[in-house]
Amino acid sequence: MHESPMIELFGIPFDLSNLIMITITCLVVFLIAVLGTRRLSVDNPGKMQNFLEWVVEFIHNMIASTMDMKQGKSFIMLGITLIMYIFVANMLGLPFALSLHFYEAPTFFGIPISPDLYAEAAHAKDVSLLFWKSPTASMSATMGLALIVIVMVHYLGVTRNTKNYFKHYIDPVPAFFPLHIIEKVSQFLTLGLRLFGNIYAGEVLIGVILMTASAGVLAGIGGMIPLIVWQAFSIFVGTIQAFVFTILTMVYISQSIAKDH
Amino acid sequence: MSIDGSIVFQIIAFGILLWLLSKYAFGPLMSVMEKRKEHVLEEMRTAETNRAEADKLLKEQEASMQQTRQEAYQIIEQAKQTSARQADEIVEDAKATAAKLKEDALKDIENEKSKAAQTLRAQVGAMSIMIASKIIEQKLDEKSQQQLVDKYLKEVGGKL
Repeated sequence: MHESPMIELFGIPFDLSNLIMITITCLVVFLIAVLGTRRLSVDNPGKMQNFLEWVVEFIHNMIASTMDMKQGKSFIMLGITLIMYIFVANMLGLPFALSLHFYEAPTFFGIPISPDLYAEAAHAKDVSLLFWKSPTASMSATMGLALIVIVMVHYLGVTRNTKNYFKHYIDPVPAFFPLHIIEKVSQFLTLGLRLFGNIYAGEVLIGVILMTASAGVLAGIGGMIPLIVWQAFSIFVGTIQAFVFTILTMVYISQSIAKDH
Repeated sequence: MSIDGSIVFQIIAFGILLWLLSKYAFGPLMSVMEKRKEHVLEEMRTAETNRAEADKLLKEQEASMQQTRQEAYQIIEQAKQTSARQADEIVEDAKATAAKLKEDALKDIENEKSKAAQTLRAQVGAMSIMIASKIIEQKLDEKSQQQLVDKYLKEVGGKL
């Protein structure tokens, strides 16, 4: 099984592949957006500008379907960034995975990578470190995104909708308070874990198919078909999950800033 | 698989990405979309105004066209009347001139005729006197006298 390359900074463990893949995803999203809006035109938009305008319209309509557009206008940027980031992140892990075997315990700018693994392993090259994968196939990335959204949702509720926000915890009777707390916690957990689970499971299954396919020539040829099918399905799942994460964000925001409950 | 420090990196990276996208890509893009919306609204407003203007102009044109047509009709009618009158006048003039010319010609003929008669009368008188004097000059017999008269008469007749 592939292991994550871990490094320790300031006494905190970091998943190095996450750091790399998050950076790459951000760069890809930024490049797509910047290249697409390089030659902006009011009356004669190019292909990429049309596509990005379609994204904006799509998010605009998504927000308009959950809340009043007067309040929703300020969340368009959040929605665009979320859907583009998650979509690109989901897609990055699909075409290939990159796992490296080192003959010696590797280091990252002088910081040893996964020293425990290499200390345990009989040979350094037995350790397989997975460097290229979807960042959304790690819990840190998805829970990070979920944390951003949930903190924002509650912050908006407290600042913009104070009375209703606190009142809805004891709605309709104070006995419901624990249920509301459970709901809030599960909102946070499901938002992050749903995305993580879908993408991680997809990558694990691709790994399993590849492992099976590497058993022999016949298995390799036979493994092509489920691999193609599963990758196509992963594209679908990745797209759906990006959409679901974004629209749930908008739904949670609209719930917390709704004036009447 | 658990949560590690990259969650902090993810949050920071996402924040930076959000800021960069809104500053360098989607901010300008959305302002362009807004501009286009304004542009379309403006165009629609202009088109509406232009159409109203065009309708007004068309009505004015139609009115002036009607007036012009009426005027043209009147002018043609007038011209017809004038031409008819002029034609009548010309015919009348021609008739009058022709009648006068005929009258003049008749008068001239009469004059010439009376002048010729007068001349003839004067010559016949002179000749008669000449004949008479010749007869008186020659006292002739009746036969030669007759011959003489015939002769002179013949002379006179040749002269005439």
